[in-house]
Amino acid sequence: MSEYNNSDPSLRPVNPETGEPFPPTDQPGYYPGFRTLSQSPYWDAATRNVVTLRVTDPPERRFFTAYEWKFWETVFSHLIPQTDRTPERQIPLIPPLDARLYANRTDGYRYETMPQDREAYKIGIEAINNESAARFGGEFLDLGHWQQEKVLQAIHDGRPEASPEIWKSMSVSRFWELIMHDAMKAYYGHPWAWDEVGFGGPAYPRAYMRLENGEPEPWEVREKRHEWRAPDLSVSDEVEPLHHLHTEATQRAHISPLRKKP
Amino acid sequence: MKTVDYLIVGVGSAGGVLLQRLARAGFSVVGLEAGPFWNTEKDWVSDEAGSHKLYWEDPRVTGGSDPLAFGANNSGKGVGGGSVHWAAFTPRFHPSDFEVYTRDGLGADWPISYHDIKPYYEQLEREMPVAGPAYFPWGHPHGYSYGPHPMGGVGNALIKGCTAMGIPVSIGGPVAILSGSFGDRPHCIYRGFCIQGCKVGAKASTLITHVPDALASGAEIRPHCMASRIELGSGGRVTGVHYFDRDGESHFQPAKAVIVAAYAIETPRLLLNSGLANSSGTLGRYLMAQAGNVIMGRFDQLVRMYKAPPAHALTEEFYETNPKNDFVRGFAIQTVGPLPVAFAKQMQSAKKAWGWGLRREMMDYNHWAAFGALGEILPWADNRVTLSDETDQFGLRVAHVSFNLHDNDKKLIKAATQKTMEVMHAAGATEVVQEARYAHLVGAARMGEDPATSVVDKFGRTHDVDNLFVCDGSILPTQGSANPGLTIQALAARTADYLICQGERIFSSARRDMSEPRMRRDLAPPATWGKGVPRLT
Amino acid sequence: MATSLEIEITNHIREGKFQRSLALLTAATSVVSGLEVAYEHYRGSYSRRVMYTPVILSGLLSIAGVAAFFSRRAAQSVLRWTSVVTLADAGLGFYFHVRGIHRKPGGWRFPMTNMVMGPPIFAPLLFGTSAYLGLIASYLQREEGNTPTSRELLSAEQDIREGKFQQQVAVVAGISALLSGFEAYYSHYKNNFRYKMQWSPVVIAPLLAAACFASVKSRRAASTLLPAAAALASADAAVGFYYHARGVLRRPGGSKHLVYNIIYGPPIFAPLLLGAAGMLGFLASLLRRRRA
Repeated sequence: MSEYNNSDPSLRPVNPETGEPFPPTDQPGYYPGFRTLSQSPYWDAATRNVVTLRVTDPPERRFFTAYEWKFWETVFSHLIPQTDRTPERQIPLIPPLDARLYANRTDGYRYETMPQDREAYKIGIEAINNESAARFGGEFLDLGHWQQEKVLQAIHDGRPEASPEIWKSMSVSRFWELIMHDAMKAYYGHPWAWDEVGFGGPAYPRAYMRLENGEPEPWEVREKRHEWRAPDLSVSDEVEPLHHLHTEATQRAHISPLRKKP
Repeated sequence: MKTVDYLIVGVGSAGGVLLQRLARAGFSVVGLEAGPFWNTEKDWVSDEAGSHKLYWEDPRVTGGSDPLAFGANNSGKGVGGGSVHWAAFTPRFHPSDFEVYTRDGLGADWPISYHDIKPYYEQLEREMPVAGPAYFPWGHPHGYSYGPHPMGGVGNALIKGCTAMGIPVSIGGPVAILSGSFGDRPHCIYRGFCIQGCKVGAKASTLITHVPDALASGAEIRPHCMASRIELGSGGRVTGVHYFDRDGESHFQPAKAVIVAAYAIETPRLLLNSGLANSSGTLGRYLMAQAGNVIMGRFDQLVRMYKAPPAHALTEEFYETNPKNDFVRGFAIQTVGPLPVAFAKQMQSAKKAWGWGLRREMMDYNHWAAFGALGEILPWADNRVTLSDETDQFGLRVAHVSFNLHDNDKKLIKAATQKTMEVMHAAGATEVVQEARYAHLVGAARMGEDPATSVVDKFGRTHDVDNLFVCDGSILPTQGSANPGLTIQALAARTADYLICQGERIFSSARRDMSEPRMRRDLAPPATWGKGVPRLT
Repeated sequence: MATSLEIEITNHIREGKFQRSLALLTAATSVVSGLEVAYEHYRGSYSRRVMYTPVILSGLLSIAGVAAFFSRRAAQSVLRWTSVVTLADAGLGFYFHVRGIHRKPGGWRFPMTNMVMGPPIFAPLLFGTSAYLGLIASYLQREEGNTPTSRELLSAEQDIREGKFQQQVAVVAGISALLSGFEAYYSHYKNNFRYKMQWSPVVIAPLLAAACFASVKSRRAASTLLPAAAALASADAAVGFYYHARGVLRRPGGSKHLVYNIIYGPPIFAPLLLGAAGMLGFLASLLRRRRA
């Protein structure tokens, strides 16, 4: 379980009208009351088993050491923050990664510019720790939240300041893609995240009847939007559209513009 | 082991068709498949994260200036192969695709013409069957015997955008997804999980369209069997295939002829590992992926793009070479329907989204629609499959793929992306972004008339070895901007007819008869007939 | 104040002397049903050869209806038997539709989803309406009188011949109204009742059915409630037809993809089914009741 269990309000998203942080909720997003799991009686048995287990029995730690587990848990809590969720409704991000690395399961291809996944997750720790030391004088886990975020932002931007020899053997952008993919697969593969984004979930044998105009099924809910601002201590609520870059290589290799020093 | 007539390596899109035709014609056939023989009810789940077993996850190395991604992006594993996880767009190639070099001075010419493959297109469109509009205007115009599908949010966006710009659009197909029942197969229930395997049986895969009849006709499939080496006998003919079974034990299956149908990566890999069929030096070369940029548009109203098959509408208006462009050949624009994990990856690529930015984008998931531009990348000699020094769990050298975009490709991709973004804007999107990527994979054992510049002849027989054939996507010399699935299965049926017509000569004669085979419609799976509407053209 | 033409028409109906008009009406409704089933079965891709039968039979029935307009003989033979075969086909269609819903993934476990997305459950029975009209027409007298009978008639046939079959038509109208209403209900449910007007046929159809069934017992209801309910249903059908046509044109691509939009838009002729029930109700109100 992540340590960012909402003890610090400055890590939670903020209501722009009042300026106050929102209290943690069972279900962020714009679909209050929507529960894909309520539909599980209408799924097939194989799907129901797999999805239910994902919620009730996330895998135990078998590959990472305790330190590595904690390290990546902290990193992933910046890649996909969950301070808007209650402690009981945190989506586990590291267990699926640990299970995958334990089984040495990959996506089936390795970029020339990358080591194997297990290796990447090892030297990634070193690279991030070096970056933390170079920028803020301490190991990653010893830094404050905002400082940790700036370290990761440097990798996101493609502008690490430390460990050039590591980044020679491991592409910055492909490494970022690797860790983001693992985080996103864990988060958005989870039923609670489906509820958050209003995705219908498994759909066999009961499928959909309202295909057009975004109409909700009888068991889906209408969207109820609300405004929110990212927490003051975060720097990740930004996007950088790359539609002017047309090939995969140029998009991946894109280095974000230099930021003004804080 | 007893010698069989034909040993097919890979029971995927092409392998399934070949297995069925040859078995029905009375040959003894064995299909080796590295993956499982799926029980669709038990093995497949209606879930993105749980579907990774459908893909080839064994190691490959990817490089070059524009490295390709594999795995879930294009590579299937298990009986049915790519036809298990495809989105099932099944357009035909255009007549111009078969003579790109003659027309445009780049790429290559095929040793066959559209005329040769047309009857097989029509035949496979009945066997899958393919649903689509009554009149499909591009290439060689034709109609479909199964009617078009209803639209989802993305299809409606494509129609709106194309109509606003005066671009004709093909609504409701062509897709190999049932729009009406077909025997025991129910029609589509519009659940949007095509890429995770169709549990309904509405989407065609050779697992359900051809493999059952193959087995009923006496074919044998050996799942979990990884081919390791094709054995060349002293007479210059192949004698069989070595393979590893599920427990890692090595076996040798003797055969009178071998057909490799293992995919554009594994086919050249196996042949290179076996040291065969490469007197031309072109084995592994002229590999082609299509540009597959995904253009996403945000709408004020909800779209809920997960509710229909990802593939349900397209336009090929820009397919052919337009002299006004600064590049040759063209592109298609198609609907796609990313589910949440896929969409998150697209937001991460297209907008460098992370952290709270990603959370914010994803909360708007239901506001987005997505089109795929499918662009024709030409065949280049430096786009190739070679063997790396790494080995896999079987001790076999792993494939290394090098991919590099050339000038024509980059200009084409830019134009395709820009045009698709225009269409998305015309559909009413308030924000349009784009993720650059690739789709499909063909080539690397191309067919040709000249043994110095190709690996196989127009029937898939390797120039070097009389009883060694290749019949899968790797034999395509060019790829058009059409999804290759239908063409691969049509070529497989054509090769099967050739082998069946040639009969015993394949197994013993050194002379190659190059006459066109008689088409064997009678060898189609028996359930094919008696359904659908008469086609308009 | 009724005009003399209206009085003449009413008398003709009262006395069962409207065979030619009804035959023509049969032909017209048959063309409309035929078109509707033709494109709906195209949606199902004519996946079974039997799906062609209602299309072919509609064509034959409309030819028979026109022939019956011109020829008394044709009315009593060709129209009668074509109608009977078409009615049988409607029953067969109902069986196939119910079976089709059962065979969808999940079958009757998801009744609403599979009725909405499967073959429309009561459509074949409603398709049989024009065949019912044709069958009735084959027993009527012609407008100008002078309709000899070829044999001794059963009392039921005699009743029809003399216009004394009000209750029978009322029952058929009532059933037809209920079936149309149910079709409208689940079809509009698919649309999530986006437009408030979509409730109107769901409300009006049971009212018409109630008036129809009341008319079986009560002559008063037959002459007061029934025509009023029928008029309401017919008006609603016309409004529905307008909205459906508008809905078709408002789909993406509009008239540029007219055939596709007709196939997948609001079913263009479906509102007329409620109108057909209304028309039957109206007809019933003009007829005489059965001999005691």
